[in-house]
Amino acid sequence: MIRLSQITKTYGSGSLAVPVLRGIDLEIGDGEFVAIMGPSGSGKSTLMNIIGFLDKQTGGTYSLNGEDVKQANEKQLAGLRNRHIGFVFQQFFLLPRLNAQKNVETPLLYAGVSKKERSERALGLLEKVGLKERTGHLPSELSGGQKQRVAIARALVNQPTVILADEPTGALDSKTGAQIMELLTELNREGKTVIIVTHEEEIAACTDRIIVLRDGLIVDDRKVTS
Amino acid sequence: MNVRESFALALSSIWNHKIRSILTMLGIIIGVSAVIIVVAIGDGARQQMADDLFSTDENAIPLYFEQTTYEENGEMMWVEPPAVTGEQLDAVKEVAGVKYVLGTNSGWGTMNHNEHTADMEIIGVDNQYFIAKDLTLLEGRRLNTRDNDSYSRVAMIDSLTRENMFAADEEAVGAIIDINDNPYKVVGVYESTLPPEFRHMDEFSNGQMLMPRTLISMMFGSPEIDTINVIADQPDNLTETGFAAAEKLTELTGSEEGMYVAEDMSAYVEEFDSFYMTITLFISSIAGISLLVGGIGVMNIMLVSVTERTREIGLRKALGATRGQILRQFLIESVTLTSLGGLIGIGFAALVTAVAAVFLPFTPIINPVVVIVGILFSSMIGIVFGILPANKASKLSPIDALRYE
Repeated sequence: MIRLSQITKTYGSGSLAVPVLRGIDLEIGDGEFVAIMGPSGSGKSTLMNIIGFLDKQTGGTYSLNGEDVKQANEKQLAGLRNRHIGFVFQQFFLLPRLNAQKNVETPLLYAGVSKKERSERALGLLEKVGLKERTGHLPSELSGGQKQRVAIARALVNQPTVILADEPTGALDSKTGAQIMELLTELNREGKTVIIVTHEEEIAACTDRIIVLRDGLIVDDRKVTS
Repeated sequence: MNVRESFALALSSIWNHKIRSILTMLGIIIGVSAVIIVVAIGDGARQQMADDLFSTDENAIPLYFEQTTYEENGEMMWVEPPAVTGEQLDAVKEVAGVKYVLGTNSGWGTMNHNEHTADMEIIGVDNQYFIAKDLTLLEGRRLNTRDNDSYSRVAMIDSLTRENMFAADEEAVGAIIDINDNPYKVVGVYESTLPPEFRHMDEFSNGQMLMPRTLISMMFGSPEIDTINVIADQPDNLTETGFAAAEKLTELTGSEEGMYVAEDMSAYVEEFDSFYMTITLFISSIAGISLLVGGIGVMNIMLVSVTERTREIGLRKALGATRGQILRQFLIESVTLTSLGGLIGIGFAALVTAVAAVFLPFTPIINPVVVIVGILFSSMIGIVFGILPANKASKLSPIDALRYE
C-alpha cells in the first residue's frame, strides 16, 4: 500500500526555486493497475521517482506498507529500491556487455543472493516472459520488444511489491507495445501493483485507474470502465 | 555483490578496453620493471664481486707487507719484506680471534709422469695447512712436521692430477713423479678445491700439488714464507682479527721500513655498495616518477570510465546498488588495473634479466622482496588514484545518471 500525503518537491532554492509537485495526496492499494498521465512538465516523472525511491520529497509524507520512509538514508533507500521496486524504462537500460540472463540477475547481486539461486530465478523469469531461447544473447542481439521483456524479467526478479514502468512502450512499435501491455496486465492479474507513467491514452486505457497531473497537482483520478 | 564478483566484473571491463588498459598500465609496468631490473642487476654484480673477492676462502684474510719508507739519500728505495719464520707465525696465532695462520710459498713446475706432461702450481705448505683449509684426504697421508724439517722430497697430488696423469688402476701413493727433471715421491691424494671456472684454464686443468714449504724454498730459491693468510674463529670478525694479526707480525719482525697490513676486502664491497646505492636511488626516483605519472594516468582513465558509464551507474543504483557497492566496484577496477600492470612489469623484468644474463658477465638476481613490494605498491597506487573517480561514481544521483545522454 502506497500512501502519499501532501507531497511537495521543489528544485533549487530562494528566488530560483521551482516547485514541481505542489501537494500530492494519493493512495494506491496492493494489486492496483494505475496509469499516471499528464503533459510534460506536469511532474509525473518526479512523482514516479519519489514513489520509486530514486528521489526524496521536499515536504509531506510517503509511507509504503504503513512504514514512513522519510527517515531513510541513502543506503536504506538503495535497499528499498532493491526489495520493493521493479523499474521498467522507456529505453530499456540493459547493460550492453551482459547477456539476457546476467542482466536479469543484476538486482540479485545487490541483494546478496547466491549464484545458484540467481541463475534459477533469472532463467525462470526469462521463460515466463517468453525468452527461454534467448537467455545467452547480448542486448544488441535482441529486438526492442525482447529487450523490454528482459527488462521486465529484471524488474520482477527481486519479487518487488511494485512495478514502476516509465513509458514502457514509448520506444516500441504499436504491435510490440501491445504485447508488452499484455504482459504487464498479466502480471497485475497475478497480484502485482503496476504503475505506468505514460502520455498515451490507449496505454492508459488498458489500466484500471487513471491519475492525471497538471502543474504539480492531481487534477483527475478516475476508474476505467471497460 | 561480493569481492570476487566485483573482481570478475573489473577484469571483464579491462578486457573490453584492451588497448586503453595496456596504455594506462604502461607507466606502472615501466616503473615496477625498472626497479626490479636495476636491483637484480646490482645484486648480481655485487654477488659476483663478492664471489671473486672471497673465492679462495671466505674465512681467510691475507696479510701483506707494505713499505713505509720509499727514499734513501734522495733515491727511490725498494724494501725487501722481512723473512718471516714459522715461530713468528705461531706467535701470531696467539692473537685473540685467530684460528690459524697459514704461511705458504709457491712455485710452478713441469710435471712428467706416464708420458703426460703438465705445468702446474705447487703450493709449499706446513703441517697445519691441510686442517686449516679443511681438505679431504682421499689416499695416503698428509704432509707432516718432519717432511718440512727434513726437506723430504715428497708431494701430495690432488684428485684432478690423479685423474688426468695416472691410470685408474695405478697406485698413486708411493709413485715416483718427475718435476723439473727431479724425482719426488707421492705420499697422498686430496680432493681438489679448485673452483670450477679455474678447472677450464690450461694452467689449472691438471690440478695443483702440495709440497713441504722448506723444499719449495730450496727448489726455487724463494723465501720459506711469502704468503700469509689469517683464518679467524668468527667470519664476522675477519677484518678486525686480520688487523690485530698484522700489527702483531709487524712487531715481531721489527721492520723499520715497512709494516704488515691486512687487506680489508669488505672495504671493496662497502665501496661498491655505496656506489650501487646511489644508482639504485637514482633509478628508483625515476621509477617513482613513472609510477606517479602512471597513477595519474589511471586516475584520468577511471574518470573517463565513470563518465562513460554514468548511465550504467544510474541503472545499478536504481536496481538497488548502494553508494558503497558502486565505490567498491570502481575501486576494485582501478586496483585490478594497476595490479595487473605490476604483474606485467614483473613478467617484463623477468624477461629482461633473463636476456641480460646472456650478455652480462654475471647473472642478475631477482629479489623476491622487491617483487612483493612492487605488487603491493602497484595495488596501493590503484587505491590512491582510484579513490577520486570511484567516489565521483558513487555520488552520482540515479535520476541524473539515468537521464545522462
